[in-house]
Amino acid sequence: MQLKRKLTGALSLASCSLLGLPSAQAETPWDIETAIMYYSEDGRVSALEPIVSMKKEIGDDEFLNLKFTLDSLTGASATGAVPSTQIQTFSTPSGNSTYNVAPNETPLDPSFFDTRAQFTLGWDKPLERNLRRNLGFNVSKEFDFTSISGNASWTWDTNLKNTSYTVGGNIELDRIDPVGGAPLPLSQQNLSLSPPIKRDGDSKQKQIIDLLLGVTQIIDRSSLVQFNLSYSLADGYLNDPYKLVSVVDPVTGEPFESTTSLPIYESRPDSRQKTGLFTRYKKQFANRDIFSISYRFMVDDWGIDSNTIDASYRWRLDNGYYIQPGVRLYDQSAADFYRYFLVDGEPIPNTVTADYRLGELTTQTFGVKFGYSDGRNNNWSIRLERYIQSGESHPDVAFGQLVNQDLYPDVEATIIQFSYAFQW
Amino acid sequence: MSDFSISIDNQIGKGKFHCMASPCEVLIDSGDIGLAREITACAVAEARRIEHKFSRYRDDNPIYQINHSADKFVDLDDETERLIAFAFECYALSEGLFDITSGILRKIWRFDGKHSIPTQKQVDEVLPFIGLNRVTYENRRLKLPAGMQIDLGGIGKEYAVDRIAGLLRGQYEPGILVNLGGDIAITAERANKDPWHVGIEDPNRSQQASSSLKISRGAIATSGDARRCILHRGKRYGHIINPKTGWPTAGSPHSVTVIASTCTDAGIIATLAMLQGKYAEKFLQQQGLKFYCHR
Repeated sequence: MQLKRKLTGALSLASCSLLGLPSAQAETPWDIETAIMYYSEDGRVSALEPIVSMKKEIGDDEFLNLKFTLDSLTGASATGAVPSTQIQTFSTPSGNSTYNVAPNETPLDPSFFDTRAQFTLGWDKPLERNLRRNLGFNVSKEFDFTSISGNASWTWDTNLKNTSYTVGGNIELDRIDPVGGAPLPLSQQNLSLSPPIKRDGDSKQKQIIDLLLGVTQIIDRSSLVQFNLSYSLADGYLNDPYKLVSVVDPVTGEPFESTTSLPIYESRPDSRQKTGLFTRYKKQFANRDIFSISYRFMVDDWGIDSNTIDASYRWRLDNGYYIQPGVRLYDQSAADFYRYFLVDGEPIPNTVTADYRLGELTTQTFGVKFGYSDGRNNNWSIRLERYIQSGESHPDVAFGQLVNQDLYPDVEATIIQFSYAFQW
Repeated sequence: MSDFSISIDNQIGKGKFHCMASPCEVLIDSGDIGLAREITACAVAEARRIEHKFSRYRDDNPIYQINHSADKFVDLDDETERLIAFAFECYALSEGLFDITSGILRKIWRFDGKHSIPTQKQVDEVLPFIGLNRVTYENRRLKLPAGMQIDLGGIGKEYAVDRIAGLLRGQYEPGILVNLGGDIAITAERANKDPWHVGIEDPNRSQQASSSLKISRGAIATSGDARRCILHRGKRYGHIINPKTGWPTAGSPHSVTVIASTCTDAGIIATLAMLQGKYAEKFLQQQGLKFYCHR
């Protein structure tokens, strides 16, 4: 005889009375994690970032994830222009005013201010016994930038769940509305404010497609190794509309020596392909300490190759406390079109940038996290990190007054984060 | 005298014992050996109490009393009454497929791998003594017609798992997994939120766990005929017999594992799924619970 009804409701009512349990099924709680991060570059940008993430089991082994992030950035950021022995005058991004940079100082745009709000939604659901699907949606809004993206990934467990394969993709659409409009790439920054900065339209767009293939292999009860292969293709407006490249006098090395040596707006290619390989090894020791080390190698068709090594050790103390020191080392080669400066009189290349983030650089991050976890309803941690970014301050190409300038000043930053997680 | 063993491995306490003809264990999310001993002792005591009280092999418990009361009312204690009430609920919900009076079919179905199947005549002789609707249950009393018996074997182990988990949940903070012969309940999530890995036995390869499932809370029960079946003239007869026909359902899976909030619920659903034969998966899907069905 075929039973065609759903029996579970009446059955659990009966078994609850058998077992003396409250009959109403307790609602699964939200796992909530709150964090506030403070990031401060010495003398430059600082950011305050509150984060709230929420997770709930909405079905059997099916999870909903929500995350809200708010970023508020203030401070000064490097424009890409070189220092001079003279006072330099630049236009603000809007073109409505100017600011001066003292002699022998790295030109920073003092008007940098932004607030970013971001919302992420994730839905992780088992489709079959060994197959999970994760769908995600993300929207992010800044003053001059709007981004939406959607992603999907599938994870297939096999080999008695010792091996998992993941395949995933993400599509992102961005709209950039630079302050005052997008400057025409390679055009001179006009200081007289009249005629105004040459504009190339108000609103710019880009699309990014990401693909990921991953394998996670459990080695034994306490260790696993993970490999990811990623590919990313960005198309569209990839410039930073606020970055400049200095054009210097061929003899003195001074910018602003004549009207032909005004700084120009940078120009990047309109597409970028990145390929990356990521591998991680994680081990939990018998005393439940956890060691994790990862390595990432990225290449892109802009000529930037990078290596990242990240290692941490979570050391369990008594009574639920732990301390976790960590180190991250990063290096990258410069983009093919990265120039510290251009020389007046030489032909201007089609693509050029002096954005320090696309130059040759290394970073070192040292940090420590201290926390407490009772496993259920009360978990907190404090993370403190020091970040040092450095590049070639005195490259061989420097001449004239540039020899005495720091053409790639170090950026040092401090990161403090406090997190608290609880169930609700 | 202790009739269990304790070990600590990788900060997980493990207590092992034997009860209800099954290997049993408790896993404790703590490396404290004293705590492991205390918790295991508590689990063993409760498992033995329930086995003693509801086993059909004893002559000093309420089941014996009921089964030897032919046509006379027997007063029920609280716990026995709750189990009987629950059995009546399940009988009604399953339209008679879950029946605690079907145990006497064992007289003609011997699942020891040697005996052959009974004849229809033998089945027909037993069927009149099956049917919970022939049992009178009123005012905390039960009356069984002569020749009939009840057997709580179909829910006893799952009930014991839930009882033990309930007891431990009330007394101990760390997450504990209670496992009586593959029927499992979890008291609370582990401190690091990691799930427990539970092996599911594949009846085709009975010595090794064919796959494992991850579970953080809730309970698991399995109904199957891995080692209990009759092979007769090339045909398999599973040990779960339809109380209405006296025959195992044709086309039933080798085993069904169900995850539910209580082990008792999971066990009933798994047993009923076996009785659905080729419709087992369809029935399980309808229940909206996670399940594993081996064919």
